[in-house]
Amino acid sequence: MVSCCSVEKVPEEKKESLKVIALAGNPNVGKTTIFNALTGLRQHVGNWPGVTVEKKEGIMKYREKEFLVVDLPGTYSLTANSIDELIARNFILSGNADVVVDIVDASCLMRNLFLTMEIFEMGVKKVVIALNKIDIARKRGVRFDVKKMEKILGVPVIPTNAKEGAGVEELKRVIANMAEGKITTNPVIPVYEEPIEREIEHISSLLRGTPLEEMYNIRWLAIKLLTRDQEVIKLVLNYLGPGKMDEILKHISELEVHYKRSLDIVIANQKYEFIDKLMHQFVIHFGEVKETFSDQIDRVLTHPAYGILGLLGVFYVLFKFVFTIGTPMQEFLDNTFASFGEFVAGFIGNEAVRGLIVEGVIGGVGSVLSFFPLVFLLFIAMSVLEDSGYMARAAVVMERIMRKFGLPGKSFIPMVLAFGCNVPAIMATRTLEDERDRILTMLINPLVPCSARMVVITFLAGAFFSDHKALMAVSIYAISLFLALLSALILGKFVIKGEESPFVIELPEYSLPSWKVAVVHSWERSKEFLRKAGTIILLGSVAIWYLSNYPEPIGSGLSYAEKLGKVFEPFTMLMGLDWKAAVSLIFGIIAKENVIATYGIIYGIGESEEALISLMQSAMTGLQAFVLALVTTLYIPCIATIGAIRAEGGNKWALVASAYNLMLASAVGVLVYNIGLLLGF
Amino acid sequence: MGKLDDVLELIKEGVRTSKEIAERLDLTVEEVDGIIKILESLGYVEKVEMSSSCQSCPLKKICPGSCIVFKGSLYELKKSDKKGT
Repeated sequence: MVSCCSVEKVPEEKKESLKVIALAGNPNVGKTTIFNALTGLRQHVGNWPGVTVEKKEGIMKYREKEFLVVDLPGTYSLTANSIDELIARNFILSGNADVVVDIVDASCLMRNLFLTMEIFEMGVKKVVIALNKIDIARKRGVRFDVKKMEKILGVPVIPTNAKEGAGVEELKRVIANMAEGKITTNPVIPVYEEPIEREIEHISSLLRGTPLEEMYNIRWLAIKLLTRDQEVIKLVLNYLGPGKMDEILKHISELEVHYKRSLDIVIANQKYEFIDKLMHQFVIHFGEVKETFSDQIDRVLTHPAYGILGLLGVFYVLFKFVFTIGTPMQEFLDNTFASFGEFVAGFIGNEAVRGLIVEGVIGGVGSVLSFFPLVFLLFIAMSVLEDSGYMARAAVVMERIMRKFGLPGKSFIPMVLAFGCNVPAIMATRTLEDERDRILTMLINPLVPCSARMVVITFLAGAFFSDHKALMAVSIYAISLFLALLSALILGKFVIKGEESPFVIELPEYSLPSWKVAVVHSWERSKEFLRKAGTIILLGSVAIWYLSNYPEPIGSGLSYAEKLGKVFEPFTMLMGLDWKAAVSLIFGIIAKENVIATYGIIYGIGESEEALISLMQSAMTGLQAFVLALVTTLYIPCIATIGAIRAEGGNKWALVASAYNLMLASAVGVLVYNIGLLLGF
Repeated sequence: MGKLDDVLELIKEGVRTSKEIAERLDLTVEEVDGIIKILESLGYVEKVEMSSSCQSCPLKKICPGSCIVFKGSLYELKKSDKKGT
């Protein structure tokens, strides 16, 4: 891998003659900016040996002298829990670095100094601290006594604002002088509570006199043993043998009993407190914590009660936006497809071929494609919500509700994903470790309306609820989500019981969304909708056209589609839906958009959508349309989703999910239709 | 008990945002976020990658615009005997 600004690799023989400067620090502290400022364009990007972690090296020049700068992976500590940490730790431990530059974010000093203390504990003496982002810290009102900080930490501290280049020359000077041995340091070492210190001393006494003493800092090894660092345990075992190692492990277990938990968290806590005390000596002013604009908005939008109202309100506005702007565009596209169908019909003499092309292909695919503006606008609105930071709040509100209904906390991720498509959402249930949690989430996930079902909902909302389109759409979403939660409660209580899986979300600050990002993102998503229209829906439309016209045309009572629909009609009529709805729902299992394509074909295609709507309005009431939208949203998942459930949970759960959804949709359909009739709708 | 323990306890109790944790412990949100990152490096919590299921989805090419995601980071409490959770 080569970066845009790389030059040729530094030759190995040249590397060996250069003093090595290692850059360490937390992620996002400006390490790359400092690396660039130190090396200019004299850098090379490759990989660390044996792993695909990026390794950047470059040459720093200072007063005619050259130094090799190595950028270590960004880490928060030097444990052995990740490959990045191991690389950084092993590089520093190996003694390859003549100077370690610890880049510290002045605006988040506590967590940054945690890594600093870990470096100090390794026994590294030649350390320079680059106190970066000093400008941001100052803006927040944080004031440092840098001289005192240097004295207390025992190493040079150079305030920098790497973006502006401030402090970089001074940093270079200190690095060069330290590399040449002109600066001496005395890094402060964290001191722990007496029981820990006593054990560190005990382990250190066992390690003294072994070859390990020559290679590593004994105190660091002892601390790592206390934290049960597997790498260090293996290393020490080689030199001490199993007998002494067992003795050490026995002492560790006793200490763990004393503290009632693992020593890694105990030591980390005490280290954190040690840093806290240090900071109070050199931070003159910690800055004021002011309530930000995000905080004020969050008081409402993440509130247990107002948050739900906010969520409903936001989604109502979202649908209002989609319908208001999208409907005229949809009508235009629809008329264009109808005109195109008429135009093409004039060139085809054979009646069967004309029917297939005009009614089957153009009519079927066109009736779905005309929804492209609505789908595109929905994705734009979703992108804006994501980019603004609202979706994270929506997730918090949703999760809180889900938890009340007995859903395992983490299952809200698949639930959020399902608004886009249920297939990746089902796959996301893999993140749930508990099998019962996974199955429960998988079963209720198809009840969350995906974007394909949104097409059906918007079509019926537009056709039958012209004055209240957004309200109708939001109510279908609300009912579906409520039923998903109710299902979770019932299934969780009586069928699949699960445990809580705790997690925490870092909410981003609200920000103005970028329209460019929203449009590009939405186009990427919408492209897939177009691709689906050209594949699955096209094939479905051709099949529906064939079944509707053979052996006799629809209306004769002899077409395959009619015969099929009539089989199910006695059942669907319980919810006020005739054989046409039954056929549409059957084809909707292939892809939900086919519900609309089927209606288009059955009602005589080549007509404009306006005509289709008019025909449907004469055959259906608003109540029946509402029931159809609801049943389409709730009944058997599409084939792809059933396939995903089968892949993740097996045949049994794919069958259970399909049967459960069908039963639920039927029960709700019958209930809503009959209640609606009683209320006079 | 130290601050790291306090944050860990609140996550276990079901407090879901670093903002709420900060309010409960009278810390800044930045400090809580920092503590969560230290807990992550110690192996007590694990970052959840939301979009990973979309990337590996076999229907990615024909899917009608999947992957609704949100900004912000999500950390799950790791289940491990060693960590005593």
